[in-house]
Amino acid sequence: MKKKVLSVLLAAAMTVSALAGCGGGSAEETAPAETTEEAPAESGEEAPAETAGAEPVALDIIISQYGNYTQEWWNQFESDFEAANSNIDLNIEIVSWNDIYTVVNTRISTNEQPDILNISGFADYVADDLLMQATEYTSPELQANFIPSFWESNSIDGTVWALPILASCRALFCNVDLLAEAGIENPPTTWDEVLTACQAIQDTFGDDIVPWGLDISTDEGQAAFSYYSWNFGGGYVDANGDWALNSPENVEAVEFIKTLIDSGYCNSAPFTDTRYPLQDAFSAGTLAMMIGPMNMVAADSTVNYVAADLPGNQVALGVCDQLMVFKDEEAENQEARTAAITAFFDAFYEQETYSDYMVFEGFLPATLDSSEYLAQNAENHIVGGSDVTGSSEYFATFCAVLPNCEFYPMQKAEWMDVRNGVIDVEQQVCTGTIDAQTALDNLQADVAE
Amino acid sequence: MIQNNASKKKNAAASFMPYVWLLPSILLMVIMIIVPIYTVFQISFSEVGRTGKIKGLNGITNYLEVFEEPAFWTTLQNTFVWTIAVVGISTLLGFIIAMVLNQEFAGRKFVRAVVIFPWATALIIQSVIWKYIINADYGSLNVLLRKLGLIDSFVNWTATPQTMFAWECWVGIFVTFPFVTFCILSGLQGIDDSLYEAAAVDGSSFWHKMFRITLPLLRPNLTVSTVLNIIYVFNSFPIIWTISKGAPADQTHTLVTYLYQLSFADGKSGHAAAVSVIGFVILAFCASIYMILSLRREEE
Repeated sequence: MKKKVLSVLLAAAMTVSALAGCGGGSAEETAPAETTEEAPAESGEEAPAETAGAEPVALDIIISQYGNYTQEWWNQFESDFEAANSNIDLNIEIVSWNDIYTVVNTRISTNEQPDILNISGFADYVADDLLMQATEYTSPELQANFIPSFWESNSIDGTVWALPILASCRALFCNVDLLAEAGIENPPTTWDEVLTACQAIQDTFGDDIVPWGLDISTDEGQAAFSYYSWNFGGGYVDANGDWALNSPENVEAVEFIKTLIDSGYCNSAPFTDTRYPLQDAFSAGTLAMMIGPMNMVAADSTVNYVAADLPGNQVALGVCDQLMVFKDEEAENQEARTAAITAFFDAFYEQETYSDYMVFEGFLPATLDSSEYLAQNAENHIVGGSDVTGSSEYFATFCAVLPNCEFYPMQKAEWMDVRNGVIDVEQQVCTGTIDAQTALDNLQADVAE
Repeated sequence: MIQNNASKKKNAAASFMPYVWLLPSILLMVIMIIVPIYTVFQISFSEVGRTGKIKGLNGITNYLEVFEEPAFWTTLQNTFVWTIAVVGISTLLGFIIAMVLNQEFAGRKFVRAVVIFPWATALIIQSVIWKYIINADYGSLNVLLRKLGLIDSFVNWTATPQTMFAWECWVGIFVTFPFVTFCILSGLQGIDDSLYEAAAVDGSSFWHKMFRITLPLLRPNLTVSTVLNIIYVFNSFPIIWTISKGAPADQTHTLVTYLYQLSFADGKSGHAAAVSVIGFVILAFCASIYMILSLRREEE
């Protein structure tokens, strides 16, 4: 009898456990824009905006966690905002990038989506008819204040669905001392020069220094595809905005990535190494060159480095996260809700407040007035988690690069499939299971279906 | 008569009471197990948007689309290789170590304590440590081998999907064998020495004693450890997700990591639910075979 009971229990445990781990939710974890580290904050500035009408309104807001002190900045903003807008109650929740897609999707599936969401990517929400158009809640002054390319990057067929919250861009980081010791005077400007520099570093340092950092992992392999394809003259879409994934330039770019691996120039595990251990290795001085975000070098690093343009066509990858507003058909007073949302955005994007947040988190602003302001006055604001003030030179340099950045085509409905597809192509080609042309042809055919 | 009625009532209440005490557990099981199972089945037959919005039933479309993916078949193959290799080798290894630990020798208690460590440490920690050990650029294995003069330049231990998966299997074995060791050891300690003494008097060889005394008496222990390990290893997630996340090109996934990627990375909850149900069916099949064999043996 005991045996029988044991059999039944084991069998039940065996079958039931097969379903573990798939309870619900869904979604993705697109790599967030680059995060900053570090600490405490001072806070939001003076109380913004004006009261948005008499009707009391509560807004549920989800903000992505960009650093360890994101919560502090938003706490201060919330109290300042509510003091200035007594009829608006903000419920701001900070959610980490690891969880945010699951949290949001779970809420959507239970019809409890937030009013305002800060995330990366909006096309899927548009496809499910969940978002309000940005022009419905953005004042004309604010619309005019966004850097035009950022504002337009959030449009689908001419309709803007989200607001750019912040941006960052990628550059080629070179350890000057290692390059000099290997006989390389300047950062490489062409892909041939990259190979030459890698060979020189390998000859000089052997196994002790990795010449080139490469991340084609599922975390951010699409970024690598962007760096190489854009700078070989290719990219995701053609001049008409149609997918052009199997262009000769893209084939050349993927083959170049394979060359880097086959020659032993890059880290040994590019399929699984995300950019974070690579950034650590660069900051520790054991990696000579890598393409990474502008804030990638650790604050305590003693590495002597330069941030240069990407080799080839010198096109940088820009990363831009968004703020978007969900529809709420059940809201009793739609007008008051929209007015409150407008007040929120006017307060957040107010020059001083928004600039303060950019310095605090270490990102680049998406508005014209803050770009101009921070290029001269970043020292008036404090970096989150430290007593260090912002650097105007830093903002002047990188804000100038931003207009030349290319962005992921996130507004296209097939973007997530393309994102995963190019990573798969890179990994398949680099493991030698398929050639670049065939792999990209297959992907193009899949996307075109 | 009155007393009889009272006694009947008392008996009825007494026979009802166990169910009252079981009720919280049953409710918990319904909420934590039955409802999620029903939900997963429902999702597997539904069209689900990337935002998690269920758009209605779509029949077996999710299953057909999953079957069309070459990655699914690679994953299925990997799952069998992973389960058989990890359970099989760790059972063999655990058995041998248990035999050794059952002998009298100096420091036996210390060795027994050390053997439990790989099993007692969290899987995620083990996986991260092994990931760093085998890293070709800064891993301690390469550094150690070079210092010992066994290699001249660093070896890329995970250069191909096959080697990557082999390392993952090794980590699986490393964290699994202590459990088998202690299951077997507890069985060995329960075998009466007089059986071996009698066999020795009859002139039995080591192998004769092994196959006629040890293994038959260890059958219950081996059954429990094997069945539990099959469940545990089949559904194991942290090792593969931490070390490779199924890379390169989905070549090192097992069903559990594959369905996690489908759901939480690719935003394909419908496909993930279908894969989950397929895993459920496979384990249900294995469980049925086990139940049939087990019950038949009991009848014999």
